[in-house]
Order: sequence, then C-alpha cells, then structure tokens
Amino acid sequence: MSLDNILNHWSDYRKAAEDGGFYDPEGNHPYEHRWTMSIDLDLCNGCNACSTACYAENNLAFVGKERFEKGHAMNWMRIERYWDDQEKDYPERGASFLPMMCQQCGSATCEPVCPVAATYHTPDGLNAQVYNRCIGSRYCSNNCPYRVRYFNFYSYYDDAWPEPMQQQLNPDITVRDKGVMEKCTFCVQRIRSAKEKAKMENREVRDGDVVPACAQACPTSAIVFGDTLDENSAISKLWKKHQVRRNVTKQHKENPELRGYRIFEELNVDPSVMYLERVREEV
Amino acid sequence: MAVNKRIPARNRRGRVGLAWALGLVACFLLVVPVAMAAKYDVVAPGGSHDGEDVKQPIEFPHDIHVKDNDINCMYCHSYARRSNVAGIPPTSKCMGCHKMVATDKPRIKQLTEYWENKESPPWKKVNDLPDFVYFTHEIHLKTLLFDREIPVEDVKEVCALCHGDVENMTVAKKVKPLNMGWCVGCHIENKELGAPGDCWKCHK
Repeated sequence: MSLDNILNHWSDYRKAAEDGGFYDPEGNHPYEHRWTMSIDLDLCNGCNACSTACYAENNLAFVGKERFEKGHAMNWMRIERYWDDQEKDYPERGASFLPMMCQQCGSATCEPVCPVAATYHTPDGLNAQVYNRCIGSRYCSNNCPYRVRYFNFYSYYDDAWPEPMQQQLNPDITVRDKGVMEKCTFCVQRIRSAKEKAKMENREVRDGDVVPACAQACPTSAIVFGDTLDENSAISKLWKKHQVRRNVTKQHKENPELRGYRIFEELNVDPSVMYLERVREEV
Repeated sequence: MAVNKRIPARNRRGRVGLAWALGLVACFLLVVPVAMAAKYDVVAPGGSHDGEDVKQPIEFPHDIHVKDNDINCMYCHSYARRSNVAGIPPTSKCMGCHKMVATDKPRIKQLTEYWENKESPPWKKVNDLPDFVYFTHEIHLKTLLFDREIPVEDVKEVCALCHGDVENMTVAKKVKPLNMGWCVGCHIENKELGAPGDCWKCHK
C-alpha cells in the first residue's frame, strides 16, 4: 500500500466525517446508527466484571500466564490502573481505573492502513474487523493509538478451552484462528440480533435494545451504551449534558466543571467513547 | 440479469403480460430463475452447484410430500420463519401422519422402528454454511415472502431461490453454491428490497 493511497484514503475519511457520514468506495454515506458509549470513571471501581463478561461473550482465548507476561493477552476490555502523583502520597485512596477498549473511532487510523480492507467502517459507525479477510499484517495494531487491537500469535483454541469448557463458547461469534487480528466490536452480535428483532416487529431499534456484555455486567452501571442518532436516547442526553461533541479535536465547554472527555481526541480520530472524569477531593 | 425489470409483487396481476414477456426473454437467455424473478420482484441468485449425494438414514422423498401431497415446506421446516435455522421436524411430526399413512412402505417401517426405539433418525445436514457465517431464515422469509404479500402456499418458490428445485428431488441435494460471491451477488441485485451490503451482516 503506497503512501499516496493512504493519504488519499485519509482525506476521503476526513471529508466523509466532516459531512457527518462515513466513507465507502462508492462515496460518502450518512450513518444509519451511531453506536456510542459513555464510561463514568467515578462509578468504576475496577472490579473487572466488564472484562470478564467480555471474555465470556466474545470467545476470548485465555492465553496463560507466560503469554500474558509477553503482552499477548486477549483482553478486548482491559482495566488500566493509574497512580497519579498526588495519590502516591495517599496510597490508601487506591489507584484510578480506566476501562479501555476499542473506541470505534469515526475516522479510525486502523482502517486506511489495512492492505486487504479487513477492517472498515460500517454504516453503524463501527470499525468492523472481518476475521476471514485478515491476513495478519498487523498494520492496524501498529497504527492504533489506543493499543486495543489484539493479535492471535498462536492457535489459542488448542488449549484455551479444555473439555468441557468449549461448550461455553458463544455460537454467535467465531473462534479466531492464528494470524488474525481481533478487537472489541461493541458486541456486534447483540446489535445484529436487536436490529433483526426490531425488523421482525416492524419497528425501529429502540434505546435500550442493545446492551453490550460489559455494560450489562457492570455492577455500578458506569457504562452506558446507545445510539447518538436517536436524540432521545440516554446516551445522547449524556453527551449533550457533558457538552462533548464529535468531530472536534478540542472540546469547548461553557462549564469547565463538566467531566466528559474523550481520550486522544486531539489526534483527530474522533473516538466514540466518552469518559467521565473521576472526581477526587483536593488534598 | 439486465433484462429483468423489477415489478412490485403487489401489482403483478395488472402487469402479467409484461412479466410473461420478460420471462420469455429470460428463458431464451437460459436464465430460468429470472423468469421467476419477474413474477416475484426478486432477482434470483444465479449459478448452480453439483453437491454430493448425502446419504440419509431414511431415503426421504421430498417429491412425494411436496409435489404429490402438496405439503407446505414450512409445515415440516417450521422454524424457518421463526429462527435462524429452518430445522428438521421432530419424529413426532412425521409420526403424526405416518401412524396412519403408508404404514406398509419399507421406509415408513424404518421410521416406525426409530419411533418405537424412541430415537430420531440421524438426519444429515445438506445445505450447511461455515461457522463464521451468520445467516437467518427468519429475515429472508419476512422480506421475500411476508412483506411482499405472496401467498404462503407459494413459499416453495421462495425456498427454491437458494435450495433449488427440492420439489423434484427425493433426498435433498445442495444445488446452489451457497458461497460468498453467490450471496453477495443476490444482495447487490436486490438492494431495493433492503438487502444489506455490510460485511458484518454475515461475517461474525
């Protein structure tokens, strides 16, 4: 893939994003849905329930301690721990937790670098990863600023699910083979079934129809998920409340006390996940 | 394919002439499915496949059930309009008729034997898709049959789009390729019916 090609792709992406749509080779298209997430870090207590639910829902392989240490873990949803300078003096207050998964960027850096178009933008505003098409070049992973793409270095299915654990595998999602990149899909299988259920009932998808595994498992309801194209959805209201807008590299807020922010939005990738800052008493 | 002008199913009575004309042209081009497509406003997927003969525990005659006795496909494959898979009927459904009907035939005797041993015949899947493909009968039947107000008695013509002429088969055989190019071809042709073109619709 030549540099020219990448640059052309990139400008198409940006143009489509600015028009409020997404780019596909036939031109710019408006979105059908815009799946978006919000994570309240003040509610997150780092219990890892989201991560565990993700493992169960998405057939993530257990790689074992040795490979985990090498950084081969397949944790699509991972809890990152941070110790701020201030907190070092008060360790009893504990670390800050940050659940990190694919941010389903509006103009994702992973998409234009894929030589085989295995990763692309869906009309739902998701970064899709088609496992069958992936040839394992790992360009996408190297171009991802969040480091949320995971590569199958081995045929993990050989020993990840010893008898009879293979029976807990989710039939709605593939067990990935060696040499394939994978990442958080915002539980696309749940989105798919919600859409089909709506279609069978001759209605639109309603707010609350789609709940990804992490949001479902979160004991403090820190994770909110929904469609921002639906003005009345809980997620749209939350984004509006915190005055976080899309397609900008810097948020301008009337009230600086509002906690909403997006990670790495200054890189112009337009992430779909809003984090709500943790509030701590000043010492 | 290009000859086919889509005629909405609801208006088809008023435009039978045109449909026939189109059908004739299509027949000359040896694209038989298109003739049906003109009738049903669906561009049928082209291409054929010569699947292997699947040996079933009982040589089930589809032709007798469908052609001679005019039993609807969805009577036995009752999950087709309710779920992803069309389903094989439970043996009790077979026995519902065959306790009385044709009990002297060797194949029915074989079936009765399974029934009395409280076993189900180990039927083998004929039209199978790989595990990485998501396919649902439910939505296909809704879009191709119910939404277009086609009488349910004609469902076999909708089934035939992907399963071929099962009406004239004994044991079902895979006669369509059921591969990606074939599926995508049909989805592109029938975009107006709402056939999605997104990879993630089928790849899981």
